[in-house]
Amino acid sequence: MRLELKDLSFSFAEKLVLKGVSMDVADGEFLGLMGPNGSGKTTLLRCITNFLPGWDGKILVDGKPMVSYTPRSLAKVFAEVPQISSTDFPFTAYDIVMMGRIPHIGSRLEGETRKDMEIVRTSMKRTNTLQFAERHFSELSGGERQRVIIARALAQQPKVLLLDEPTVYLDISGQFEMMDLIRGLNKEERITTVTVLHDINMAARYCDRIALLNEGRLEAIGTPEEVLTQENIQSIYGLDVSVRKDPFTHSVYVMPRSARAPPKRHGARVHVLCGGGTGGPLMRALVENGYSVSTGVLNVLDSDYENATDLRVPVVAEAPFSQIGPESHGENLRMIDDSQVVIVLPFPVGPGNLKNLEAARYAVERGKRVYVFRADREVAYDFVGGRAESFISALTSSGAMEVRSLAQVLTEISRLGGAASA
Amino acid sequence: MLILGGLALLLFLSAFVAILVGTLGPIGPGEPERITFSEAIDSIFSDSTYHWVFWNVRIPRVLLAGLVGAALACSGTAMQAIFRNSMADPFVIGVSSGAALGAAIAGFLGLTSIAGIGLGMPPLFAFITAILAAFTVYVLGSVKGRVYVDTLLLSGVAVAAFLGALVSFSIYLARQQFHQLIFWLLGSLALARWSYVEILLVVVAIGAAVVYLYGRDLDALLLGEETAHNLGANPEPLKKLMLGVSALMAAAAVAFTGVIGFVGLITPHMTRLVMGANHRLLVPAATLSGAIFLIWADTLARTIVTPDELPVGIITALCGGPFFLYLLRRHSMGRES
Repeated sequence: MRLELKDLSFSFAEKLVLKGVSMDVADGEFLGLMGPNGSGKTTLLRCITNFLPGWDGKILVDGKPMVSYTPRSLAKVFAEVPQISSTDFPFTAYDIVMMGRIPHIGSRLEGETRKDMEIVRTSMKRTNTLQFAERHFSELSGGERQRVIIARALAQQPKVLLLDEPTVYLDISGQFEMMDLIRGLNKEERITTVTVLHDINMAARYCDRIALLNEGRLEAIGTPEEVLTQENIQSIYGLDVSVRKDPFTHSVYVMPRSARAPPKRHGARVHVLCGGGTGGPLMRALVENGYSVSTGVLNVLDSDYENATDLRVPVVAEAPFSQIGPESHGENLRMIDDSQVVIVLPFPVGPGNLKNLEAARYAVERGKRVYVFRADREVAYDFVGGRAESFISALTSSGAMEVRSLAQVLTEISRLGGAASA
Repeated sequence: MLILGGLALLLFLSAFVAILVGTLGPIGPGEPERITFSEAIDSIFSDSTYHWVFWNVRIPRVLLAGLVGAALACSGTAMQAIFRNSMADPFVIGVSSGAALGAAIAGFLGLTSIAGIGLGMPPLFAFITAILAAFTVYVLGSVKGRVYVDTLLLSGVAVAAFLGALVSFSIYLARQQFHQLIFWLLGSLALARWSYVEILLVVVAIGAAVVYLYGRDLDALLLGEETAHNLGANPEPLKKLMLGVSALMAAAAVAFTGVIGFVGLITPHMTRLVMGANHRLLVPAATLSGAIFLIWADTLARTIVTPDELPVGIITALCGGPFFLYLLRRHSMGRES
């Protein structure tokens, strides 16, 4: 069933909560509603079900205005799953699911028919709740209760399922179980689904499309890749994230880096020689502490290359799986010239990137402060027959300082302080 | 269904036994006396000494007890659903204190019940003020036509306290009616008559039928107003209808018998502990149980200290309280395991 919102506005206590939201939800679609707290997601759901009267604009359900439906017929179109359902009254799980039949039972004089009971049983089977049908709802765990509520929604035989953060009170396995169940119903029973979600990665993984709300406005709507960009998340959540692709599902996933905006650059310029992912934590720590960081030379597919671009750290790049050429090596040396500090990580050294150790030697010769991370003896890093080892020991004997931990190197360079930055 | 049949049978038997039990006062002066079961049955069906007493005092009294119990229990069931709180009772919206004030005013003005017109003045006054009090609470508890149950509950408390103070004040002013008013405040079925039975029968039949027919809607309401709305059970009209019907039943009951506490609180609660919260079963079961409970409470009230009688409200609280606590404890024990 198609759902169209046109210029939907709603104000509560003279405050505009929704400001002209327009969107279409296609038949059979799985749409995620996202946005910070107070952005109007729940309000939007409540306008769609007409629970909040007094909204402005148009809501069309299957082409007809929503207000032309009676409460009962609307309850056959929409089923809603709230964040949490509870009652102190001794309803059994079965009682709760049977409530889904209320809009379908024709007259108040009628009781539940055999057909109603059959539908309730099927719904409970589908949601794996039949085994505790006779237990009291209040005695069930959060996940079990939420499944019972989904069963009730199914018993309503709705065309559209509306969910308000259905996983918020569930543990991690419960969350995936719930999302798999909802996604399954969406695909198999073709129930159009609109769900408020807070977990960005969950949304990216399960939703066909995502609508991003902020302060009552629809900021973006589209596929997860279109909507969940670094810029959107930065501007709406004020959160610095990196957006990557899940190697297994190819859905986008988002990693928060820091809730704080990047601090003002104040410290020394630091050049990092790394590779194979060894430089990620250090570069991040340096950026967060306000140092100007650069790195190189890295191959384009190297994970430290991704780390650097995520952190918006200037990086000297080389084509994938290629040797460091003279041009990029020269660029690397220029960056070292511009830095006060050079840090060498125990990155895997092969014939392709041996030049990076030459760059380290260059830094020592030019009188830069050079710190060398001591390699973990257990982890092989020298793939050039001992030449990397001898490079490193030459560095430490000619003035480079050996460090053991990230914390140590940060303390060391903070001590350089004003002298270095001056 | 089996349980409802059983309760109906039990109600019938209770009424029958209650009619036969107790002392009988002769018309005019003289000591009340005990008679045996067979004498009692004789008196009911043949024109003997006590025939008139049975048909005009005992039988209406037992029937009124049943109807008042049913009215309060049914009203309490609906109130507990509306307030989503099993501690609610028919009097939370000010019905009892409103009725008490009406009765006090009638007493103060010297408007005692006038025989012959069927309905005395105190019940009429009590009924009107009870409905007025409930309506005041309703107005205070709603904003722009929307009923907010938490505000409603607090308004009920405030209005009841205010009216209660007025009642105490009128007791202070009218010392000679003091005893009479206290008796009324504790509830009594001693004034039962056929006209009361007839009126209350109509009120209870309509009221209980309406509450029963909206049973599924009440189920949905207990999971919250949003859930009720989304199941097509429009919560605003539902709350108003249920408040109106419950207030009517409670006011009618209180007008005839005074404030009989505990029946409307514990009967729905106990029935729910045994039968679950499904209102299509709960409403008839609680209504029948309320009738049975009050018939027995009244029988005790009039036999326990013969030739005198106790206000029935004392009996309901004395029996109901401990039994309620017992059920509550047993229920919470079950919750532990």
